[in-house]
Amino acid sequence: MKLISRYILPLALLGMVSAGVTSCEKKDYALPTAKDVLQNDAMKRTLGPSIVGDTVEFVYAMGILPSKGKLVSAEVEASIEGAVGTNMENRSYYTNSSGVDVGIEIGGPATTNKNVTTVTFNKDTSAAALRYYYVVPAAARGQQVTFTFRGKSSNGESVSYKLGPYKVAKMDMKRLLTVNDGTNMYISIEDMAVYNAAGAAANANKIDLVYLYRTYTSTFKHALVAPAADPMYLPDITLPPGVNKNTKIQRVFSLQDYNLARLQFGIYIDDLDFEKLDISNAVNYAINMKAEAGIWLKTADNKYLAYVYFNSATDGTKSAVISMKRYAL
Amino acid sequence: MKKYINITGALLLIAFAMAACKKDTPIDEDGLLITSRQECFVSNFEMLGTDYVTVRTKAATIDTTAQTINVTVMFGTDLKNLYPQFTLAQDCKLDPKITGRTDFSDLANPRVYTVVSGNRQIRKPYKVLITVQPR
Repeated sequence: MKLISRYILPLALLGMVSAGVTSCEKKDYALPTAKDVLQNDAMKRTLGPSIVGDTVEFVYAMGILPSKGKLVSAEVEASIEGAVGTNMENRSYYTNSSGVDVGIEIGGPATTNKNVTTVTFNKDTSAAALRYYYVVPAAARGQQVTFTFRGKSSNGESVSYKLGPYKVAKMDMKRLLTVNDGTNMYISIEDMAVYNAAGAAANANKIDLVYLYRTYTSTFKHALVAPAADPMYLPDITLPPGVNKNTKIQRVFSLQDYNLARLQFGIYIDDLDFEKLDISNAVNYAINMKAEAGIWLKTADNKYLAYVYFNSATDGTKSAVISMKRYAL
Repeated sequence: MKKYINITGALLLIAFAMAACKKDTPIDEDGLLITSRQECFVSNFEMLGTDYVTVRTKAATIDTTAQTINVTVMFGTDLKNLYPQFTLAQDCKLDPKITGRTDFSDLANPRVYTVVSGNRQIRKPYKVLITVQPR
């Protein structure tokens, strides 16, 4: 018995070593055999929320062995018809050695019939990657959208690929509005527009913010102020008749939302951010605003929450370029 | 006999192990270590706005004798929503704790924060006196 136990350990060790050696043995590499049927794949290229009026980009790739046939058509069916501008490119893209995407025409321009967009190939093509641009329609607001991509080849085969569902945001977006101290300085969140004094008087009940630029010993400079704010935050300003809303405002910094800023920051404000926002204790002015800063706001009638972002602010011209995301309550 | 020796040995081992786990370093109600340090002061003070950017116009003046912190904030600062930040002497803690935005708008009744020393024996209340920069 003692003799057996003496040999068990060395034998077990030997067994483990030999097992280890065998597992390191290299197997001969064999080239993978390509599937001989029509294949496809798809992906969504656009990150962040899908916003009404904005474009969501996809890419659809198809391939078949040249000996089996060639590509005949590619189509996309969206569950909700896209807005004007929805299109599929008739060029297939590849990335060259410099990292640049190069498009090669493979067929005629796409045709769109309601919610189906089709590209028909007219060049001998075995593999292609086509881009599809879906312009989010107002009808999709708050809804789920799915996309079915389909490809056909000359040998009668067909394939399909489903993407989604993707939730379309409730919020709206408006980019690059220019505000000027003294002229276009009245901002309406409801209209997502900027007015001069005459326009503000005509839309008095919709004016939520006044843009102004002042230089004092303190730092004032670019400011967004509610019409009902203390006059010391609206110096030398005579508001048009009826412009008197008391908007709640909270300053924000380092929130360069990608949709508004189009900068390198991968930050996206989505519906959820507005749903969780609480600025009930906020003031009604924000002074000393700078480029890449912003404000959260709530309109006096509690109809909208919004984020207003400063794309740029120019002291010399006393002006700024702003963009906004707006969420209806 | 051998059996009883084994049992006694095991019991002794357990007793030793339990004694070894007993903590001999005191901690306070917040789970913080109570040390022997008596230092009790504020060494630095910062004040941030809702955008997490400083609202100070210059460095705060900390008077450790009068136990006051004088800070001048920019014109237009939202005094109801400020984040104060204290830097304290080693092992000290602050009472009350700062848990989020704090309302400093009542300038006539400045907020008082008490610094508690590392040995938890010394308590020094500091008044935060805010001045708003004129326009």
